[in-house]
Amino acid sequence: MKANIYRYDPEKDSKPYMQEFDIEIPDNKDIMVLDLLHLAKEQDSSLSFRRSCREGVCGSDGMSMNGTNGLACITPISAVAKNNKIDIRPLTGMPIIKDLVVDMSLFYKQYEKIKPYLINDQPEPAIERLQSPEDREKLDGLYECILCACCSSSCPSFWWNPDKFIGPAGLLQSYRFLADSRDTATSERLKDLEDPFSVFRCRGIVNCVNVCPKGLNPTKAIGKIKSMLLNKAT
Amino acid sequence: MQKKRPEHLDLTKIKMPIQAYASIAHRVSGLFLAVISVAVVYALQLSLHSEKSFNCLKQYLQQPVMKIILLIVLSGLFYHFVAGIKHLIMDLGFAEEKTSSKLAAIISIIVTIVLIIATGLWLW
Repeated sequence: MKANIYRYDPEKDSKPYMQEFDIEIPDNKDIMVLDLLHLAKEQDSSLSFRRSCREGVCGSDGMSMNGTNGLACITPISAVAKNNKIDIRPLTGMPIIKDLVVDMSLFYKQYEKIKPYLINDQPEPAIERLQSPEDREKLDGLYECILCACCSSSCPSFWWNPDKFIGPAGLLQSYRFLADSRDTATSERLKDLEDPFSVFRCRGIVNCVNVCPKGLNPTKAIGKIKSMLLNKAT
Repeated sequence: MQKKRPEHLDLTKIKMPIQAYASIAHRVSGLFLAVISVAVVYALQLSLHSEKSFNCLKQYLQQPVMKIILLIVLSGLFYHFVAGIKHLIMDLGFAEEKTSSKLAAIISIIVTIVLIIATGLWLW
């Protein structure tokens, strides 16, 4: 298996380049791309990438594999390799720190902007804030996001305006709190999203849904936010 | 001082679904229409100026080359119109899933092609 891996070391390289690795797959097994990276690292220990849980829960190893963003730890090589070749690059449109490690500051900044926590101005109950099963169900498909940035980094609107457009990941979380029956800050939250950039840069091209490793749908959530903004304005 | 960090944004190495291309084509056709509208408005002015200039323009547009140009302009208009309607339908909350949005993109392209062929038949 030939693996073309994106390399860049700011201490040594003036610009990024692709390094080819010839990797022997043990027993011709269908290993995950992350395993492939570990095998490449055995050949060249200077190769850098992020990983932690290696089972698609932590969201550390988001990267572009043969042109599509995904988590290396849960992507089998058979799903992405073409002609026994695989091209591994960092997440698209994000500043590169080293090799496959990207700077996610702007991504987190956008996440922080949407106030990703429950706001409730009612006095705290003795035990907990209750929610009906129906209201709880409204959060399904929203709360599961692991912030791996695969979606935002596949979104052209986010490439061009990472500082002003919240991006699919942030907006999915924004809707998660807008839809929460226990949250009382709905109108303040919507007010923060009214400008032409935060939400309305989304053109519904569905790149985000296409790459989400958790099978979530930011486009739909963004559509719901737009409807809420419309209802608020009329 | 830290160097400016590079980014991987090589569009030839990034795979995008057909929905993305449909959306990009919508924007490109919009830009094209905005530019070409100058010529269209000029043609409108000519047609309204006098009977003579109307007939002159009519005759001019009968030429095969002009017919082709006209068809290209109309193709841009058709695509922009159809893709715009697709956007409105999406704003209503439909075709926002992976497969449904793909289907919507394919349908909008097919409808545009049918409109272009029909117009081609009408022009010739």
